[in-house]
Amino acid sequence: MSTDEPGGAPALELRALGKTYGRGAGAKRAVDDVSLTVRGGEVYGFLGPNGAGKSTTIRMALGLIRPSDGDALLFGRPVSDRQALRRVGSLVDGGTFYPFLSGRDNLRVLARTQGHDGARIEAVLERVDLARDAKRKVKGYSTGMKQRLGVAAALLDDPDLVILDEPANGLDAAGIQDMRTLLRGLAADGKAVFLSSHLLHEVEQICDRVAIVHKGQLLREATVREMLDQGEALRIEAEPLDAAAAALEGRWPVERIAGALKVRARRAEAPAIVRTLVEAGADIFHMGPDDQSLEEIFLTMTRDSDA
Amino acid sequence: MLDAVRAEALKLRRHRATWMMVWIYPIAITLIVAGMLVYGAFRAHGVPAPAQPALEWIRESTTLWKLPASPPGRFLIAGFCAVVFAGEYGWNTWKLIIPARARWQLIAAKWVVALGFLTIALIAADLITLIGSWLGSFQGDGIPAGVTLAAVLEAHWQAGAHALLPIVYTIAFAGLFAILTQSILATVILSIALVVIEGLWPLIGLFLHQYVPALTETLVRVLPFYHLANLKTWASGAGLTMPLGPDAVVSMSWAMSFAVLMGWILAAAAATQLRFLRQDLN
Repeated sequence: MSTDEPGGAPALELRALGKTYGRGAGAKRAVDDVSLTVRGGEVYGFLGPNGAGKSTTIRMALGLIRPSDGDALLFGRPVSDRQALRRVGSLVDGGTFYPFLSGRDNLRVLARTQGHDGARIEAVLERVDLARDAKRKVKGYSTGMKQRLGVAAALLDDPDLVILDEPANGLDAAGIQDMRTLLRGLAADGKAVFLSSHLLHEVEQICDRVAIVHKGQLLREATVREMLDQGEALRIEAEPLDAAAAALEGRWPVERIAGALKVRARRAEAPAIVRTLVEAGADIFHMGPDDQSLEEIFLTMTRDSDA
Repeated sequence: MLDAVRAEALKLRRHRATWMMVWIYPIAITLIVAGMLVYGAFRAHGVPAPAQPALEWIRESTTLWKLPASPPGRFLIAGFCAVVFAGEYGWNTWKLIIPARARWQLIAAKWVVALGFLTIALIAADLITLIGSWLGSFQGDGIPAGVTLAAVLEAHWQAGAHALLPIVYTIAFAGLFAILTQSILATVILSIALVVIEGLWPLIGLFLHQYVPALTETLVRVLPFYHLANLKTWASGAGLTMPLGPDAVVSMSWAMSFAVLMGWILAAAAATQLRFLRQDLN
């Protein structure tokens, strides 16, 4: 089941979204022409290095920052529409709370601000494993506890779209595992989850689709599978290595790695590669897949973008 | 809207700033009254004090209501409002509540809670004062003849009403300073500066009038400082005549001063809302 609007409007849609800080010569373009859609039932990862514009984009999607260009739409409606924004739960800055109130009272304040009685407070505290510490003042919480309280706050009004900025920050291994289960569970319930992260391994495991953003620009949006396929490569050990590399370089991108060659090619191209090497007089000792992780793909893309 | 006010009240009612700058009124008055009652119980009975006229006794019983308009009272109000309005920037909590509620309602809720808490605290302090006076009457100096409950209530109602405008004026400007500076400390400093300028305004007027008389007269008539002082003196029976030089004075009716001051309060509140509506929260 999906939480998209019946008319087909996605839970979150960014259209050519842009943000410029300052004016004139000192102006800084923080986000430039970012377009993407997030639908109900999927976990969408928003990847980028520090300063890439991830947080600015998320804040525009939550109405905290006014876009300089473009639109952010929630369920087909502008962010300024309170009814649409009420269907969104969010976690920004690792959970921002009143330090002088307890965890439970912080959720009470949020519930009242949202306009309901907070009937789900105990349930969400249990869900993030904070029920025992809910009486304590937030100023005594660890980073991980604040993060979990932030997730509880995001889920408080049973939202259809959950926007999380770096949700795994400060969590230990068990906490990250719980978070992964929680987010997949939300997607399984038909909710849309949009998260930014720099933990690429996590994103690879949790997300259905990802977007890579760098210096405010969207470099690529694809499913995780498509992204990983893009990084498909073969590792070849051959002698003499120079002759082997020279023979392949004309047709495939070749990279030398620790006494071997990494050839950007699909598995189906392996026979052609073998023939080329044999014709060049190279002896082949090993040939196998050398798939890149999302992290390597991410680094390659951002490096290429810098170049 | 009521939910936003309830949320704001829940947030602030037990905050240290509320205890130190709002609940301090009933707490301090309770301690003072209790101290006086204890002193009265143990003091040696000497010559009784001459009986006070009823009107004077009633007027003195409303002294508490002069506190919010005095400089120390204004500092307390400004300090509390600095926490109410600018605290969200320091705690970084606007990001928690802005997605949950329209921005104008969040600011309006802060107004309601700031004014509501101060009103509750002052009424409580006033009631404690009256109860203390009544209890004290059993220890010797009785309540003068002619003091009726209706007269007391009317006098206190009027004193409270006269205190309202300085309170609202202080909230309006502290709220504006908070949204503009996004800092509790800066809000307090600017609010104190405002009170100091108000106190020095007669001297500033005299000084400026020597060089730019027409402009000075316009400033006195347009800026809120004279009008606040004028309304305070009207509350005591007659308006304030502010001399600017040997041949120039400013003297205005309470209605005109009320209108000018209301204009400033509304302008400050509107500027607060407009600025906050357009503010980026990074």
